[in-house]
Amino acid sequence: MFYVSIFFQYASQYLKTRLTYRVDTIVEIFSDLLFQAVNLIFILVVFGHTSLLSGWNREEIIFIYGFFLVPYAIFSSFFNIWDFNDRYIVKGEMDRVLTRPIHSLFQIIMERMELESLFGVITGIVIMYYAGSTLGLTFAWYDTFIFVAMVLGGAFIYAGIFISLASIGFWSDSRTDIMPMMYNIGNYGRYPVDIYHRVIRFVLTWILPFAFVGVYPAAYFLKREEWYFYAFLTPVMGIVFLSLAIFLWNSGVKKYRGAGN
Amino acid sequence: MMNVIEVSNLRKDFISYSSRSGLSGAFRDLFTRNYKVLSAVDDISLSVKQGEMVGYIGENGAGKSTTIKMLTGILTPTSGTVRVNGMDPHKQREQFVQTIGVVFGQRSQLWWDIAVQESFRLLKKVYRVSDADYNDHMGYVIETLEIGPLLDKPVRKLSLGQRMRCELAAALIHNPPLLFLDEPTIGLDVLVKLKIRKFLKELNEQYKTTVLLTTHDLTDIEALCERVVLLDEGKIVYDGKLASLQENSVEGKQVEFQFLANVTEVQLPHRREVSWEKKDGQTWIATVDGDERAVSRLISEVVQRNPIKNVRINEISTEEIIRKIYEEGMATS
Repeated sequence: MFYVSIFFQYASQYLKTRLTYRVDTIVEIFSDLLFQAVNLIFILVVFGHTSLLSGWNREEIIFIYGFFLVPYAIFSSFFNIWDFNDRYIVKGEMDRVLTRPIHSLFQIIMERMELESLFGVITGIVIMYYAGSTLGLTFAWYDTFIFVAMVLGGAFIYAGIFISLASIGFWSDSRTDIMPMMYNIGNYGRYPVDIYHRVIRFVLTWILPFAFVGVYPAAYFLKREEWYFYAFLTPVMGIVFLSLAIFLWNSGVKKYRGAGN
Repeated sequence: MMNVIEVSNLRKDFISYSSRSGLSGAFRDLFTRNYKVLSAVDDISLSVKQGEMVGYIGENGAGKSTTIKMLTGILTPTSGTVRVNGMDPHKQREQFVQTIGVVFGQRSQLWWDIAVQESFRLLKKVYRVSDADYNDHMGYVIETLEIGPLLDKPVRKLSLGQRMRCELAAALIHNPPLLFLDEPTIGLDVLVKLKIRKFLKELNEQYKTTVLLTTHDLTDIEALCERVVLLDEGKIVYDGKLASLQENSVEGKQVEFQFLANVTEVQLPHRREVSWEKKDGQTWIATVDGDERAVSRLISEVVQRNPIKNVRINEISTEEIIRKIYEEGMATS
């Protein structure tokens, strides 16, 4: 409960600063939209050359992309920790975080949130609605709850991977370029995994399970029964990866060396 | 009285890698690395009672900040025990930090873009301070630090002195019984320094707040702390009253005489405990190895024989004492 009220405190402060920089906020939302449009156009261009991609048609791929946008929007609103190493460890901001009576990871999530990214949820739902109605998909009432569970699972997987990577900073403060690479690999989950080589499919399922953020859960709503097992594994994978990441983080904090003055 | 800080045999080692030179060295580094263990804090023991104001001093890299970071739960000690406010700072971190206030002079606690009072409000929630306690306590803090007019300004628009006073207020929102100040007056002008010192004194008297202070400005220590802990290369080299540090280390007083006319050495009184040094024809410096009585005896003798323009007694400053300790080691006392 305490953490929920702290969240609202931070969120209201965030909105206040955002309102003082109105133009920035609008520009950011606009550039997000542009980015999503480019991705969509890319899918359309690919399907200008072919009508099926390993047995998936254009609307299905668009639906997967729309689904992917929702957990990704939640992830990018709350887990902006790609620059954790620079911002908190090298500059020593972690010292300040550790002198406050709230869990350190929670504080960083609160400090780094970018609520305007949540706009992606709307874009995603609009895209899914378009693709879904073209495909003539029908949904039951309980699908809403399954949708929420799948979205959270996907967001947790993303969060877990990035928190784990950020935790490396506690052991080694050398710069790595692993974070941007991870963002790229994350995009692979937007396409059906059966178009990839076996090895890549294995990696995307069990090691860097980005497939659980896009194609697997979307397969449930597309009624692709051969993928149901993976689809229902999504929330489980999310919880497992997030728990591992938090464990890694907590052991990292013990190893924190601080920055010299 | 209860000890607020209880530290015994505390040690913090840092492992640092040294790389070999050249390309072949870089290859060898891939497989086996040379590493050195540096003890930033080397086996220190310390206890601080409630209501004390302790100055924690040392050169850059002497281990001051590392100690403070272990006492505040930021770093885990390599070995030794730390009990602060009856808790283990690192293991019970979230509960523990509720009972301390921390100011890092070189780092801001406040949010850059929002008004100071918004930062205060957020911190009030974070520390779960009730409205009544907040109004009662912070009213006093805001008034004494004279930051009332700054509250609705964003932090980025404040001057350093204004910001520092707000930082101090922010660290006191939950009225902690123990306050850590790491170089709180760095870069501030004299007026702000005086204001902050006066405030800390009052705070100590009113709430019996224990203060541990590190600073490079020894006048801060002189103004505030009865007790100093002197750190060198991770070890405590002196722990005691500031006054006795001065008494023990002063090897003599200097008296500078400015005469009306040129004076030669034969015209000056000679004693066992006095040695003379000529600055120019009219100015001589006497170093007296003795107490105040020896000094006044000397002055009266000199004045009887030679008309003088000016006499100045040079007290050796704390700064010089500490410089001496670092250069020559602690005088056995």
